[in-house]
Amino acid sequence: MGYRRQPGWFILIFVLLAGIIFEVFTGPGGFSLKNLSSVISFRLPRVGIGIIAGGVLAVVGGSFQGLLRNPLVDPWTLGVASGAALGATVAMISGTGSNLFLPVAAFLGALLAIGLVYILAGGKSGVAVTRLVLAGVIVSFFFSSLVMLLMVLGRHTLGEAVYLMMGNLGIVFTQKSGWLLLICALLALAGSFWLFVHARELDVISLDDEVALSLGVDAQKLTRMVFLVGSLAVGMVVAWTGAISFVGLVAPHLVRMLFGPKHRVVLPGSFLLGAGMLLLADSIVRNIAPAGLPLSVITALIGVPFFIYLLKAKV
Amino acid sequence: MKAIEIEDIRFAYQEQLLFERLSLSIEEGEFFGIIGPNGSGKSTLLRLMSGILKYQRGRIKLLGKDLTTFSRQQIARFVALVPQESFFAFEWTVEDVVMMGRTPFLKTFAQPGALDRKRVEEAMALTGVTKLRGKSINCISAGEKQRVIVARILAQEPEIILLDEATSHLDLYHRLEIVRVMLELKNQGKTVVFVSHDLNEASAYCSKVLLIARGRILACDRPEMVITANLIKQVYGVEPIIAPHPATGRPQVFLPSF
Repeated sequence: MGYRRQPGWFILIFVLLAGIIFEVFTGPGGFSLKNLSSVISFRLPRVGIGIIAGGVLAVVGGSFQGLLRNPLVDPWTLGVASGAALGATVAMISGTGSNLFLPVAAFLGALLAIGLVYILAGGKSGVAVTRLVLAGVIVSFFFSSLVMLLMVLGRHTLGEAVYLMMGNLGIVFTQKSGWLLLICALLALAGSFWLFVHARELDVISLDDEVALSLGVDAQKLTRMVFLVGSLAVGMVVAWTGAISFVGLVAPHLVRMLFGPKHRVVLPGSFLLGAGMLLLADSIVRNIAPAGLPLSVITALIGVPFFIYLLKAKV
Repeated sequence: MKAIEIEDIRFAYQEQLLFERLSLSIEEGEFFGIIGPNGSGKSTLLRLMSGILKYQRGRIKLLGKDLTTFSRQQIARFVALVPQESFFAFEWTVEDVVMMGRTPFLKTFAQPGALDRKRVEEAMALTGVTKLRGKSINCISAGEKQRVIVARILAQEPEIILLDEATSHLDLYHRLEIVRVMLELKNQGKTVVFVSHDLNEASAYCSKVLLIARGRILACDRPEMVITANLIKQVYGVEPIIAPHPATGRPQVFLPSF
Protein backbone atom coordinates (compact mmCIF):
# COMPACT_ATOMS: atom_id res chain seq x y z
CA MET A 1 0.00 0.00 0.00
CA GLY A 2 2.49 2.54 1.26
CA TYR A 3 4.79 2.13 -1.69
CA ARG A 4 2.15 3.72 -3.90
CA ARG A 5 2.05 6.93 -1.90
CA GLN A 6 4.73 8.36 -4.09
CA PRO A 7 5.00 11.98 -2.94
CA GLY A 8 6.41 10.72 0.34
CA TRP A 9 9.06 8.68 -1.42
CA PHE A 10 9.98 11.69 -3.55
CA ILE A 11 10.65 13.67 -0.38
CA LEU A 12 12.90 10.95 1.01
CA ILE A 13 14.83 10.55 -2.23
CA PHE A 14 15.11 14.31 -2.53
CA VAL A 15 16.65 14.58 0.94
CA LEU A 16 19.12 11.82 0.11
CA LEU A 17 20.08 13.42 -3.21
CA ALA A 18 20.49 16.79 -1.52
CA GLY A 19 22.76 15.16 1.04
CA ILE A 20 24.88 13.51 -1.65
CA ILE A 21 25.14 16.74 -3.65
CA PHE A 22 26.15 18.84 -0.66
CA GLU A 23 28.61 16.22 0.48
CA VAL A 24 30.26 15.96 -2.94
CA PHE A 25 30.18 19.57 -4.13
CA THR A 26 30.75 21.61 -0.99
CA GLY A 27 33.43 21.67 1.64
CA PRO A 28 36.62 23.44 2.65
CA GLY A 29 38.32 22.81 -0.68
CA GLY A 30 35.33 23.85 -2.74
CA PHE A 31 34.76 22.00 -5.98
CA SER A 32 36.61 22.31 -9.25
CA LEU A 33 37.69 19.99 -11.99
CA LYS A 34 41.32 20.51 -10.96
CA ASN A 35 40.92 18.87 -7.60
CA LEU A 36 38.54 16.23 -8.97
CA SER A 37 40.77 13.33 -8.02
CA SER A 38 40.99 14.42 -4.40
CA VAL A 39 37.24 15.00 -4.36
CA ILE A 40 36.74 11.49 -5.62
CA SER A 41 39.20 9.88 -3.24
CA PHE A 42 38.15 11.91 -0.20
CA ARG A 43 34.49 12.81 -0.56
CA LEU A 44 33.02 9.83 -2.38
CA PRO A 45 34.04 7.28 0.27
CA ARG A 46 32.61 9.69 2.81
CA VAL A 47 29.30 9.68 0.93
CA GLY A 48 29.30 5.89 0.95
CA ILE A 49 30.06 5.64 4.65
CA GLY A 50 27.51 8.37 5.44
CA ILE A 51 24.74 6.57 3.55
CA ILE A 52 25.42 3.27 5.25
CA ALA A 53 25.91 4.77 8.73
CA GLY A 54 22.82 7.00 8.59
CA GLY A 55 20.68 4.38 6.88
CA VAL A 56 21.63 1.54 9.18
CA LEU A 57 21.27 3.59 12.38
CA ALA A 58 17.80 4.68 11.26
CA VAL A 59 16.70 1.14 10.37
CA VAL A 60 17.93 -0.18 13.71
CA GLY A 61 16.31 2.78 15.49
CA GLY A 62 12.99 2.11 13.76
CA SER A 63 13.16 -1.60 14.63
CA PHE A 64 13.99 -0.91 18.29
CA GLN A 65 11.11 1.57 18.48
CA GLY A 66 8.69 -1.04 17.17
CA LEU A 67 10.06 -3.87 19.27
CA LEU A 68 9.99 -1.85 22.49
CA ARG A 69 6.82 0.09 21.55
CA ASN A 70 8.63 3.26 22.36
CA PRO A 71 9.14 6.25 20.06
CA LEU A 72 11.96 7.61 22.22
CA VAL A 73 14.50 4.85 21.70
CA ASP A 74 17.27 4.55 19.15
CA PRO A 75 20.82 3.15 19.22
CA TRP A 76 21.99 6.37 20.89
CA THR A 77 19.33 6.87 23.58
CA LEU A 78 19.43 3.16 24.46
CA GLY A 79 23.19 3.32 25.06
CA VAL A 80 23.88 0.78 22.31
CA ALA A 81 26.06 3.24 20.41
CA SER A 82 28.17 4.05 23.47
CA GLY A 83 28.42 0.33 24.19
CA ALA A 84 29.85 -0.13 20.71
CA ALA A 85 32.19 2.82 21.25
CA LEU A 86 33.41 1.25 24.48
CA GLY A 87 34.05 -2.02 22.69
CA ALA A 88 36.00 -0.17 20.00
CA THR A 89 38.01 1.62 22.69
CA VAL A 90 38.94 -1.62 24.38
CA ALA A 91 40.06 -3.00 21.03
CA MET A 92 42.14 0.08 20.30
CA ILE A 93 43.97 0.35 23.61
CA SER A 94 44.51 -3.37 23.98
CA GLY A 95 46.97 -2.87 21.13
CA THR A 96 46.39 -6.20 19.48
CA GLY A 97 47.44 -4.50 16.30
CA SER A 98 44.67 -6.28 14.49
CA ASN A 99 41.99 -4.15 12.92
CA LEU A 100 39.76 -7.17 12.74
CA PHE A 101 39.17 -7.10 16.48
CA LEU A 102 37.78 -3.56 16.37
CA PRO A 103 34.36 -4.24 14.78
CA VAL A 104 33.99 -7.50 16.72
CA ALA A 105 34.60 -5.66 20.00
CA ALA A 106 32.20 -2.89 18.96
CA PHE A 107 29.50 -5.51 18.30
CA LEU A 108 30.08 -7.15 21.67
CA GLY A 109 30.01 -3.75 23.39
CA ALA A 110 26.69 -2.92 21.72
CA LEU A 111 25.22 -6.25 22.77
CA LEU A 112 26.41 -5.74 26.34
CA ALA A 113 24.77 -2.31 26.45
CA ILE A 114 21.37 -3.40 25.16
CA GLY A 115 21.34 -6.39 27.50
CA LEU A 116 22.21 -4.18 30.45
CA VAL A 117 19.59 -1.55 29.58
CA TYR A 118 16.91 -4.19 29.08
CA ILE A 119 17.63 -5.77 32.45
CA LEU A 120 17.85 -2.39 34.23
CA ALA A 121 14.51 -1.34 32.80
CA GLY A 122 12.97 -4.64 33.93
CA GLY A 123 12.22 -6.23 30.55
CA LYS A 124 9.23 -5.10 28.57
CA SER A 125 6.29 -6.04 30.73
CA GLY A 126 4.63 -2.95 32.09
CA VAL A 127 7.73 -0.83 31.70
CA ALA A 128 6.99 2.85 31.35
CA VAL A 129 8.31 4.43 28.18
CA THR A 130 10.59 6.74 30.12
CA ARG A 131 12.17 4.07 32.27
CA LEU A 132 13.83 2.42 29.31
CA VAL A 133 15.24 5.73 28.17
CA LEU A 134 16.44 6.48 31.69
CA ALA A 135 18.26 3.16 31.80
CA GLY A 136 19.73 3.97 28.38
CA VAL A 137 20.98 7.35 29.54
CA ILE A 138 22.58 5.86 32.64
CA VAL A 139 24.35 3.13 30.69
CA SER A 140 25.31 5.58 27.99
CA PHE A 141 26.83 8.02 30.46
CA PHE A 142 28.76 5.31 32.25
CA PHE A 143 30.14 3.84 29.03
CA SER A 144 31.07 7.26 27.64
CA SER A 145 33.05 8.01 30.79
CA LEU A 146 34.85 4.69 30.40
CA VAL A 147 35.61 5.50 26.76
CA MET A 148 37.14 8.83 27.74
CA LEU A 149 39.12 7.33 30.61
CA LEU A 150 40.45 4.38 28.65
CA MET A 151 41.32 6.46 25.60
CA VAL A 152 43.35 8.93 27.63
CA LEU A 153 45.03 6.22 29.70
CA GLY A 154 45.80 4.41 26.45
CA ARG A 155 47.66 7.47 25.14
CA HIS A 156 45.10 8.44 22.55
CA THR A 157 44.21 12.10 22.12
CA LEU A 158 41.12 13.62 23.68
CA GLY A 159 40.03 14.54 20.17
CA GLU A 160 39.97 10.90 19.17
CA ALA A 161 37.95 10.05 22.27
CA VAL A 162 35.43 12.76 21.50
CA TYR A 163 35.09 11.61 17.90
CA LEU A 164 34.52 8.07 19.09
CA MET A 165 31.75 9.18 21.45
CA MET A 166 30.16 11.70 19.12
CA GLY A 167 30.86 10.55 15.61
CA ASN A 168 32.91 11.47 12.59
CA LEU A 169 32.75 10.22 9.02
CA GLY A 170 36.48 10.73 8.37
CA ILE A 171 37.55 7.26 9.53
CA VAL A 172 39.98 8.27 12.20
CA PHE A 173 39.94 5.07 14.20
CA THR A 174 41.35 2.46 11.90
CA GLN A 175 44.12 2.37 9.42
CA LYS A 176 42.86 2.36 5.91
CA SER A 177 41.77 -1.17 5.36
CA GLY A 178 39.43 -1.30 2.44
CA TRP A 179 38.41 -4.90 2.65
CA LEU A 180 37.58 -4.72 6.35
CA LEU A 181 35.49 -1.62 5.75
CA LEU A 182 33.69 -3.46 2.98
CA ILE A 183 32.98 -6.47 5.18
CA CYS A 184 31.65 -4.27 7.98
CA ALA A 185 29.48 -2.33 5.55
CA LEU A 186 28.07 -5.54 4.12
CA LEU A 187 27.37 -6.95 7.59
CA ALA A 188 25.63 -3.71 8.63
CA LEU A 189 23.52 -3.79 5.46
CA ALA A 190 22.78 -7.49 5.89
CA GLY A 191 21.58 -6.79 9.44
CA SER A 192 19.31 -4.02 8.22
CA PHE A 193 17.99 -6.29 5.51
CA TRP A 194 17.25 -9.01 8.05
CA LEU A 195 15.20 -6.49 10.06
CA PHE A 196 13.36 -5.46 6.88
CA VAL A 197 12.55 -9.08 6.05
CA HIS A 198 11.03 -9.51 9.51
CA ALA A 199 8.91 -6.37 9.15
CA ARG A 200 5.58 -8.10 9.73
CA GLU A 201 6.78 -9.72 12.93
CA LEU A 202 7.91 -6.29 14.11
CA ASP A 203 4.44 -4.93 13.28
CA VAL A 204 2.80 -7.56 15.45
CA ILE A 205 5.24 -7.32 18.36
CA SER A 206 4.80 -3.54 18.32
CA LEU A 207 1.30 -4.19 19.72
CA ASP A 208 2.12 -6.49 22.61
CA ASP A 209 4.22 -9.58 23.33
CA GLU A 210 1.16 -11.61 24.19
CA VAL A 211 -0.70 -10.55 21.06
CA ALA A 212 2.37 -11.47 19.03
CA LEU A 213 2.43 -14.91 20.66
CA SER A 214 -1.27 -15.45 20.04
CA LEU A 215 -0.72 -14.54 16.38
CA GLY A 216 2.01 -17.14 16.08
CA VAL A 217 5.09 -14.93 16.49
CA ASP A 218 7.64 -16.20 18.98
CA ALA A 219 8.06 -12.94 20.90
CA GLN A 220 11.03 -13.92 23.06
CA LYS A 221 13.00 -15.25 20.13
CA LEU A 222 12.20 -12.21 18.00
CA THR A 223 13.26 -9.85 20.80
CA ARG A 224 16.58 -11.66 21.20
CA MET A 225 17.20 -11.71 17.45
CA VAL A 226 16.40 -8.02 16.95
CA PHE A 227 18.75 -7.11 19.81
CA LEU A 228 21.45 -9.34 18.35
CA VAL A 229 21.10 -8.21 14.75
CA GLY A 230 20.61 -4.56 15.73
CA SER A 231 23.73 -4.64 17.91
CA LEU A 232 25.69 -6.24 15.09
CA ALA A 233 24.64 -3.56 12.61
CA VAL A 234 25.29 -0.72 15.05
CA GLY A 235 28.65 -2.20 16.07
CA MET A 236 29.77 -2.41 12.44
CA VAL A 237 28.90 1.26 11.95
CA VAL A 238 30.23 2.67 15.22
CA ALA A 239 33.56 0.88 14.78
CA TRP A 240 34.20 3.19 11.82
CA THR A 241 32.28 6.36 12.57
CA GLY A 242 31.95 6.54 16.36
CA ALA A 243 28.56 7.00 18.02
CA ILE A 244 26.21 9.32 16.12
CA SER A 245 23.18 10.62 17.97
CA PHE A 246 19.48 10.89 17.18
CA VAL A 247 19.50 9.95 13.46
CA GLY A 248 17.95 6.63 14.47
CA LEU A 249 15.29 8.44 16.49
CA VAL A 250 14.20 11.20 14.16
CA ALA A 251 14.23 9.43 10.79
CA PRO A 252 11.83 6.55 11.60
CA HIS A 253 9.45 8.91 13.31
CA LEU A 254 9.25 11.26 10.33
CA VAL A 255 8.75 8.31 8.00
CA ARG A 256 5.90 7.02 10.17
CA MET A 257 4.27 10.44 9.88
CA LEU A 258 4.49 10.11 6.10
CA PHE A 259 3.47 6.49 5.60
CA GLY A 260 2.00 5.09 8.82
CA PRO A 261 3.62 2.52 11.11
CA LYS A 262 4.07 -0.54 8.85
CA HIS A 263 7.70 -1.62 9.22
CA ARG A 264 7.79 -2.89 5.66
CA VAL A 265 7.59 0.76 4.63
CA VAL A 266 9.05 2.46 7.70
CA LEU A 267 12.37 0.61 7.56
CA PRO A 268 13.36 1.28 3.92
CA GLY A 269 12.01 4.82 4.25
CA SER A 270 14.12 5.32 7.38
CA PHE A 271 17.17 4.04 5.53
CA LEU A 272 16.79 6.72 2.85
CA LEU A 273 15.97 9.52 5.27
CA GLY A 274 18.62 8.56 7.82
CA ALA A 275 21.24 8.44 5.08
CA GLY A 276 20.18 11.82 3.67
CA MET A 277 20.03 13.46 7.09
CA LEU A 278 23.45 12.21 8.06
CA LEU A 279 25.03 13.45 4.81
CA LEU A 280 23.43 16.86 5.31
CA ALA A 281 24.70 16.97 8.89
CA ASP A 282 28.17 15.99 7.74
CA SER A 283 28.27 18.65 5.03
CA ILE A 284 27.26 21.25 7.62
CA VAL A 285 30.08 20.04 9.85
CA ARG A 286 32.67 20.19 7.07
CA ASN A 287 31.56 23.61 5.91
CA ILE A 288 31.31 25.41 9.24
CA ALA A 289 34.27 23.70 10.92
CA PRO A 290 36.94 22.61 8.44
CA ALA A 291 39.22 21.79 11.36
CA GLY A 292 36.73 19.21 12.54
CA LEU A 293 33.64 18.97 14.73
CA PRO A 294 31.89 15.83 15.98
CA LEU A 295 28.81 14.89 13.97
CA SER A 296 26.59 14.49 17.01
CA VAL A 297 26.91 18.21 17.69
CA ILE A 298 24.75 18.85 14.63
CA THR A 299 22.48 15.79 14.84
CA ALA A 300 21.76 16.54 18.51
CA LEU A 301 20.90 20.17 17.78
CA ILE A 302 18.14 18.84 15.54
CA GLY A 303 17.41 15.67 17.49
CA VAL A 304 16.99 17.01 21.01
CA PRO A 305 14.13 19.44 20.26
CA PHE A 306 12.48 16.59 18.40
CA PHE A 307 12.98 14.28 21.38
CA ILE A 308 11.37 16.85 23.67
CA TYR A 309 8.43 17.16 21.31
CA LEU A 310 7.95 13.37 21.33
CA LEU A 311 8.28 13.24 25.09
CA LYS A 312 5.54 15.86 25.45
CA ALA A 313 3.29 14.23 22.88
CA LYS A 314 3.58 10.58 23.83
CA VAL A 315 4.42 10.11 27.46
CA MET B 1 -14.86 -34.40 20.09
CA LYS B 2 -13.22 -32.46 22.87
CA ALA B 3 -11.90 -29.02 21.91
CA ILE B 4 -9.66 -28.64 24.95
CA GLU B 5 -8.51 -31.29 27.40
CA ILE B 6 -6.40 -30.36 30.39
CA GLU B 7 -4.98 -33.37 32.19
CA ASP B 8 -3.37 -33.19 35.58
CA ILE B 9 -1.68 -29.84 35.08
CA ARG B 10 0.76 -28.33 37.51
CA PHE B 11 1.57 -24.66 37.08
CA ALA B 12 3.50 -22.23 39.30
CA TYR B 13 4.58 -18.65 38.77
CA GLN B 14 8.18 -18.85 39.94
CA GLU B 15 7.71 -20.02 43.55
CA GLN B 16 3.98 -19.48 43.76
CA LEU B 17 1.99 -22.60 43.03
CA LEU B 18 -1.31 -21.90 41.29
CA PHE B 19 -2.52 -25.22 39.84
CA GLU B 20 -1.77 -28.66 41.21
CA ARG B 21 -3.36 -31.63 39.44
CA LEU B 22 -5.92 -29.56 37.58
CA SER B 23 -8.01 -31.37 35.00
CA LEU B 24 -10.74 -30.04 32.78
CA SER B 25 -12.28 -30.71 29.41
CA ILE B 26 -14.30 -28.51 27.09
CA GLU B 27 -16.51 -29.96 24.34
CA GLU B 28 -16.28 -28.71 20.80
CA GLY B 29 -18.97 -26.16 19.98
CA GLU B 30 -19.52 -25.19 23.58
CA PHE B 31 -19.95 -21.65 24.94
CA PHE B 32 -17.92 -22.25 28.07
CA GLY B 33 -17.78 -19.73 30.92
CA ILE B 34 -15.05 -19.42 33.52
CA ILE B 35 -15.85 -17.42 36.64
CA GLY B 36 -14.09 -16.84 39.93
CA PRO B 37 -12.69 -14.10 42.15
CA ASN B 38 -9.60 -12.03 41.39
CA GLY B 39 -6.43 -14.05 41.39
CA SER B 40 -8.27 -17.35 41.08
CA GLY B 41 -6.36 -18.37 37.96
CA LYS B 42 -8.92 -17.63 35.22
CA SER B 43 -6.58 -15.68 32.98
CA THR B 44 -3.71 -18.06 33.65
CA LEU B 45 -5.91 -20.95 32.55
CA LEU B 46 -6.61 -19.20 29.23
CA ARG B 47 -2.90 -18.56 28.70
CA LEU B 48 -2.11 -22.21 29.35
CA MET B 49 -4.78 -23.27 26.84
CA SER B 50 -3.32 -21.01 24.16
CA GLY B 51 0.23 -22.15 24.85
CA ILE B 52 1.37 -18.68 25.88
CA LEU B 53 2.35 -19.94 29.32
CA LYS B 54 4.20 -23.23 29.81
CA TYR B 55 2.98 -25.66 32.46
CA GLN B 56 5.36 -27.72 34.54
CA ARG B 57 3.60 -31.07 34.47
CA GLY B 58 0.63 -32.75 32.88
CA ARG B 59 -0.78 -32.48 29.41
CA ILE B 60 -3.00 -30.20 27.37
CA LYS B 61 -4.69 -31.43 24.21
CA LEU B 62 -6.27 -29.17 21.62
CA LEU B 63 -8.75 -30.84 19.24
CA GLY B 64 -7.36 -34.18 20.37
CA LYS B 65 -3.69 -33.42 19.75
CA ASP B 66 -1.01 -32.65 22.31
CA LEU B 67 -0.34 -28.90 22.45
CA THR B 68 3.41 -29.40 22.55
CA THR B 69 3.35 -31.02 19.10
CA PHE B 70 2.20 -27.74 17.53
CA SER B 71 4.43 -24.83 16.58
CA ARG B 72 3.45 -21.31 17.73
CA GLN B 73 2.22 -20.53 14.26
CA GLN B 74 0.16 -23.73 14.03
CA ILE B 75 -1.58 -22.96 17.33
CA ALA B 76 -2.33 -19.43 16.10
CA ARG B 77 -4.15 -20.93 13.10
CA PHE B 78 -6.91 -22.35 15.29
CA VAL B 79 -6.73 -20.68 18.71
CA ALA B 80 -7.32 -16.95 19.18
CA LEU B 81 -7.21 -14.83 22.32
CA VAL B 82 -9.21 -11.65 22.93
CA PRO B 83 -7.47 -9.63 25.65
CA GLN B 84 -9.25 -7.35 28.09
CA GLU B 85 -7.66 -4.22 26.69
CA SER B 86 -5.26 -3.40 23.87
CA PHE B 87 -2.74 -0.58 23.60
CA PHE B 88 -1.22 0.77 20.45
CA ALA B 89 2.04 2.71 20.55
CA PHE B 90 1.68 3.69 16.88
CA GLU B 91 -1.13 5.00 14.69
CA TRP B 92 -2.36 1.81 13.04
CA THR B 93 -5.50 2.00 10.96
CA VAL B 94 -8.43 -0.25 11.85
CA GLU B 95 -7.84 -2.23 8.65
CA ASP B 96 -4.14 -2.74 9.50
CA VAL B 97 -5.10 -4.14 12.89
CA VAL B 98 -7.66 -6.55 11.43
CA MET B 99 -5.16 -7.66 8.77
CA MET B 100 -2.73 -8.63 11.55
CA GLY B 101 -5.12 -11.49 12.25
CA ARG B 102 -3.84 -13.06 9.02
CA THR B 103 -0.28 -13.22 10.38
CA PRO B 104 -0.39 -16.97 11.16
CA PHE B 105 -1.21 -17.71 7.52
CA LEU B 106 1.47 -15.55 5.92
CA LYS B 107 5.03 -16.59 5.26
CA THR B 108 7.83 -14.27 6.39
CA PHE B 109 7.82 -11.23 4.10
CA ALA B 110 4.89 -12.45 1.96
CA GLN B 111 2.24 -9.84 1.25
CA PRO B 112 -1.45 -10.55 2.04
CA GLY B 113 -3.25 -12.10 -0.93
CA ALA B 114 -6.83 -12.06 -2.21
CA LEU B 115 -8.01 -14.65 0.32
CA ASP B 116 -6.49 -12.65 3.20
CA ARG B 117 -8.24 -9.49 2.04
CA LYS B 118 -11.52 -11.38 1.68
CA ARG B 119 -11.31 -12.74 5.23
CA VAL B 120 -10.55 -9.24 6.55
CA GLU B 121 -13.57 -7.80 4.71
CA GLU B 122 -15.84 -10.54 6.11
CA ALA B 123 -14.49 -10.03 9.62
CA MET B 124 -15.02 -6.28 9.48
CA ALA B 125 -18.53 -6.73 8.10
CA LEU B 126 -19.55 -9.22 10.78
CA THR B 127 -18.35 -6.95 13.59
CA GLY B 128 -19.67 -3.78 11.96
CA VAL B 129 -16.35 -1.93 11.76
CA THR B 130 -16.08 -1.67 7.96
CA LYS B 131 -16.86 2.03 7.98
CA LEU B 132 -14.03 2.64 10.48
CA ARG B 133 -11.42 0.93 8.30
CA GLY B 134 -9.30 3.99 7.54
CA LYS B 135 -9.46 5.47 11.04
CA SER B 136 -6.60 5.38 13.50
CA ILE B 137 -7.10 2.71 16.14
CA ASN B 138 -6.28 5.31 18.80
CA CYS B 139 -9.04 7.66 17.64
CA ILE B 140 -12.06 5.39 18.17
CA SER B 141 -14.00 4.54 21.33
CA ALA B 142 -13.10 1.66 23.65
CA GLY B 143 -16.13 -0.27 22.47
CA GLU B 144 -15.29 0.20 18.80
CA LYS B 145 -11.70 -0.75 19.52
CA GLN B 146 -12.73 -4.02 21.14
CA ARG B 147 -14.93 -4.81 18.12
CA VAL B 148 -11.89 -4.22 15.91
CA ILE B 149 -9.95 -6.70 18.05
CA VAL B 150 -12.79 -9.20 17.65
CA ALA B 151 -12.60 -8.61 13.89
CA ARG B 152 -8.89 -9.38 14.04
CA ILE B 153 -9.69 -12.63 15.85
CA LEU B 154 -12.29 -13.52 13.19
CA ALA B 155 -9.75 -12.89 10.44
CA GLN B 156 -7.61 -15.46 12.22
CA GLU B 157 -10.34 -18.09 11.46
CA PRO B 158 -9.93 -19.85 14.80
CA GLU B 159 -11.73 -23.01 15.92
CA ILE B 160 -11.27 -22.03 19.55
CA ILE B 161 -11.81 -18.46 20.78
CA LEU B 162 -10.62 -17.48 24.24
CA LEU B 163 -11.99 -14.25 25.72
CA ASP B 164 -10.24 -12.79 28.75
CA GLU B 165 -12.78 -10.46 30.37
CA ALA B 166 -13.13 -9.02 26.92
CA THR B 167 -16.35 -7.18 27.70
CA SER B 168 -15.65 -5.95 31.21
CA HIS B 169 -14.93 -2.31 30.41
CA LEU B 170 -17.54 -1.87 27.69
CA ASP B 171 -20.96 -0.28 27.75
CA LEU B 172 -24.13 -2.36 27.37
CA TYR B 173 -24.41 -2.00 23.61
CA HIS B 174 -20.84 -3.00 22.83
CA ARG B 175 -20.97 -5.78 25.38
CA LEU B 176 -23.99 -7.30 23.67
CA GLU B 177 -22.40 -6.84 20.25
CA ILE B 178 -19.39 -8.91 21.30
CA VAL B 179 -21.58 -11.60 22.83
CA ARG B 180 -23.74 -11.65 19.67
CA VAL B 181 -20.70 -12.29 17.47
CA MET B 182 -19.49 -15.01 19.84
CA LEU B 183 -22.89 -16.75 19.84
CA GLU B 184 -22.82 -16.63 16.05
CA LEU B 185 -19.42 -18.33 16.09
CA LYS B 186 -20.72 -20.93 18.50
CA ASN B 187 -23.59 -21.64 16.11
CA GLN B 188 -21.01 -22.23 13.39
CA GLY B 189 -19.54 -24.95 15.61
CA LYS B 190 -16.64 -22.99 17.08
CA THR B 191 -15.70 -23.34 20.72
CA VAL B 192 -15.87 -20.17 22.81
CA VAL B 193 -14.23 -19.95 26.23
CA PHE B 194 -15.50 -16.90 28.03
CA VAL B 195 -13.71 -15.65 31.15
CA SER B 196 -15.87 -13.11 32.93
CA HIS B 197 -16.15 -11.17 36.14
CA ASP B 198 -19.82 -10.76 35.52
CA LEU B 199 -21.64 -13.77 36.92
CA ASN B 200 -24.92 -12.76 35.29
CA GLU B 201 -23.35 -12.46 31.88
CA ALA B 202 -21.73 -15.87 32.22
CA SER B 203 -24.97 -17.38 33.45
CA ALA B 204 -27.04 -15.84 30.68
CA TYR B 205 -25.00 -16.99 27.68
CA CYS B 206 -22.81 -19.95 28.62
CA SER B 207 -23.86 -23.55 28.13
CA LYS B 208 -21.48 -24.62 30.87
CA VAL B 209 -19.77 -22.66 33.65
CA LEU B 210 -16.58 -23.40 35.54
CA LEU B 211 -16.18 -21.87 39.00
CA ILE B 212 -12.60 -21.58 40.09
CA ALA B 213 -11.02 -20.18 43.26
CA ARG B 214 -7.34 -20.11 44.27
CA GLY B 215 -6.43 -22.47 41.48
CA ARG B 216 -9.02 -25.09 42.42
CA ILE B 217 -12.10 -26.06 40.48
CA LEU B 218 -15.18 -25.87 42.69
CA ALA B 219 -17.84 -26.64 40.11
CA CYS B 220 -18.18 -27.22 36.40
CA ASP B 221 -21.70 -27.66 35.16
CA ARG B 222 -24.77 -25.97 33.69
CA PRO B 223 -25.21 -22.41 35.05
CA GLU B 224 -28.13 -23.33 37.32
CA MET B 225 -25.92 -25.88 39.08
CA VAL B 226 -23.00 -23.51 39.57
CA ILE B 227 -24.54 -20.10 40.24
CA THR B 228 -26.06 -21.11 43.56
CA ALA B 229 -26.28 -19.13 46.80
CA ASN B 230 -24.15 -21.71 48.54
CA LEU B 231 -21.24 -21.75 46.11
CA ILE B 232 -21.26 -17.99 45.57
CA LYS B 233 -21.13 -17.40 49.29
CA GLN B 234 -18.36 -19.94 49.72
CA VAL B 235 -16.23 -18.36 47.02
CA TYR B 236 -16.91 -14.64 47.24
CA GLY B 237 -17.79 -14.37 50.93
CA VAL B 238 -20.99 -12.43 50.28
CA GLU B 239 -24.58 -13.52 50.80
CA PRO B 240 -26.22 -13.15 47.40
CA ILE B 241 -29.82 -13.22 46.32
CA ILE B 242 -30.35 -15.49 43.38
CA ALA B 243 -33.42 -15.38 41.17
CA PRO B 244 -34.22 -16.73 37.73
CA HIS B 245 -33.93 -14.45 34.74
CA PRO B 246 -37.49 -13.35 33.79
CA ALA B 247 -37.06 -14.36 30.15
CA THR B 248 -34.61 -17.27 30.13
CA GLY B 249 -34.93 -18.72 33.60
CA ARG B 250 -31.15 -18.72 34.01
CA PRO B 251 -30.00 -17.84 37.55
CA GLN B 252 -29.12 -14.19 38.13
CA VAL B 253 -27.22 -12.82 41.09
CA PHE B 254 -28.43 -9.77 43.02
CA LEU B 255 -26.44 -8.02 45.69
CA PRO B 256 -28.02 -7.97 49.15
CA SER B 257 -29.39 -4.69 50.50
CA PHE B 258 -27.91 -3.28 53.67
